[in-house]
Amino acid sequence: MALVKTVDTELGLIEQAQQGDRNAFGELVRRHYESVVHVVYRMCGEVQLAEDAAQEAFLRAWINLPSFEPRANLRNWLYRIAVNAALDVLRRKSETFVEDEETLMVSDQMPGPEETLIRKEQVELLQRALRNLPEASRSVLVLREYGELSYQEIASVLDIPIGTVMSRLNYARNRLREVLQSHAQEMENAHA
Amino acid sequence: MHEDMRALLNAYLDGELHGWRLLEVQNHLTSCESCRNELRELRAVSDLLRAAPLPEFTPAERFAANLALRLPRRPLKAQLQRGPSLTWWLAPLALMGLWFFVQTLIWLTTVLSLALSGGLLGESFSWISGSAAQSNLFAFLMNLFGGHLGTATQSTLSLLDRLVLFGNSLINQWFWQAIVALLYWLWMAVWWLRTRGRAFLPRLARA
Repeated sequence: MALVKTVDTELGLIEQAQQGDRNAFGELVRRHYESVVHVVYRMCGEVQLAEDAAQEAFLRAWINLPSFEPRANLRNWLYRIAVNAALDVLRRKSETFVEDEETLMVSDQMPGPEETLIRKEQVELLQRALRNLPEASRSVLVLREYGELSYQEIASVLDIPIGTVMSRLNYARNRLREVLQSHAQEMENAHA
Repeated sequence: MHEDMRALLNAYLDGELHGWRLLEVQNHLTSCESCRNELRELRAVSDLLRAAPLPEFTPAERFAANLALRLPRRPLKAQLQRGPSLTWWLAPLALMGLWFFVQTLIWLTTVLSLALSGGLLGESFSWISGSAAQSNLFAFLMNLFGGHLGTATQSTLSLLDRLVLFGNSLINQWFWQAIVALLYWLWMAVWWLRTRGRAFLPRLARA
C-alpha cells in the first residue's frame, strides 16, 4: 500500500514537473540525487567530476522531461542520462584530468590487521582498474554493481541488446579478475 | 561445453539464469573445479567493487537548491509542445463540425426530394431532381439498343438500376458519416496512445 502511494506521488510529481513546476522537479532531484551521484562517481572516480556530471544529468532531465513517459521508470531514465553526462564530463576533462588521491584512497576507518590492509589495497586497485576499462564495459559494470540494475534494465538504459550486456560484463569482470591475479602474483614475488 | 559454461558464470553470479540453463550451470559447477574457482574469483571481484567506500557528497538539499538556480524557466520542449497542442484539440471540433455539415446537407436533400416528389415546389426546382430516377448507365443502354430490348430484359435492367440507385443513395448518406466517425475514433486512439497507452504497450509486447 505504501509502495503504491509512493509510486502515485512520484507520478504526480513527474506530471507537475512536466508542466514546468520547479518545486516538483526539485523534489524528484532530492529523491534520486543519491543514486545518480553514486553511479556517476563510479564512472568518474572524482567527487567534483561526479557532482558536475550529476548536475548536467539533472539539467538534461529537466529539459527533456516533457518527452518522458510518466509511467516509465524514472530512475532508469535518469541513469541513462547520467551515464552519458558522466562520459561527456570525462571527455571534456580528459586532458586536464589528474586522479584525486583523496577519493582514490580507501577509507581509513577500516582498522589495520594485515588481511584488512590487503583487502583495502585490492579495493583501491579495482577502483583504478574500473576507471581504466573501456567506456562501454565500464558503463555496464557500474550499472550492474552500483546501480543494481538487472541485465534487462541495463539493456534498456544503454539501448543495447541483452547479449551485448552479457559480453561486456564478462569482459569487464574478467579484466578486473586478471588485474587482481597479477597483483597477487606481484605480491608473491615480492615476498619470495 | 566448458567455454559455454564459462560464458554463463557472470549471469549465474548475478542471478540472471533461470530454468534449464540454471540447472545446466549448477550441474557443471559440481563437476568442474576450474569453473568453481573462476566463479569464486568473479564473486570476489564483485564483492570488492561493492566494498569500495563512498566519499562525502554535497547534501541532496543543497545540490537541489544549487541546481534550481541553473534551471531554465520552463522545459524547452514543453514550450514547443504548447503550439501543436491547440491544433491537436481543434481536430475533434473540426470533425464534429464536418459531421454537422454532412447531416444538414442530407437532411436538406431529403426534405427537398420529398417536397419535389409531392409537387409542393412546382416546377421551379425541377433541375435538381432531373427528369427521371434512372442512372446514366441505364439511359445509355436503352439508347444503345433503341427499343429492341424485350420486356422481361427491360424489367430486369430497370430493377438492377433501381438497386444501383438505392446503393448510391445509401453510400451518399452513410459514406461521409462513416468517414467522419472513423477519423474521430482514430483521433481518440491516437490521443489514448499519447497519454496513457505508451506505458502499456511495452508490457503487451513483452507478454
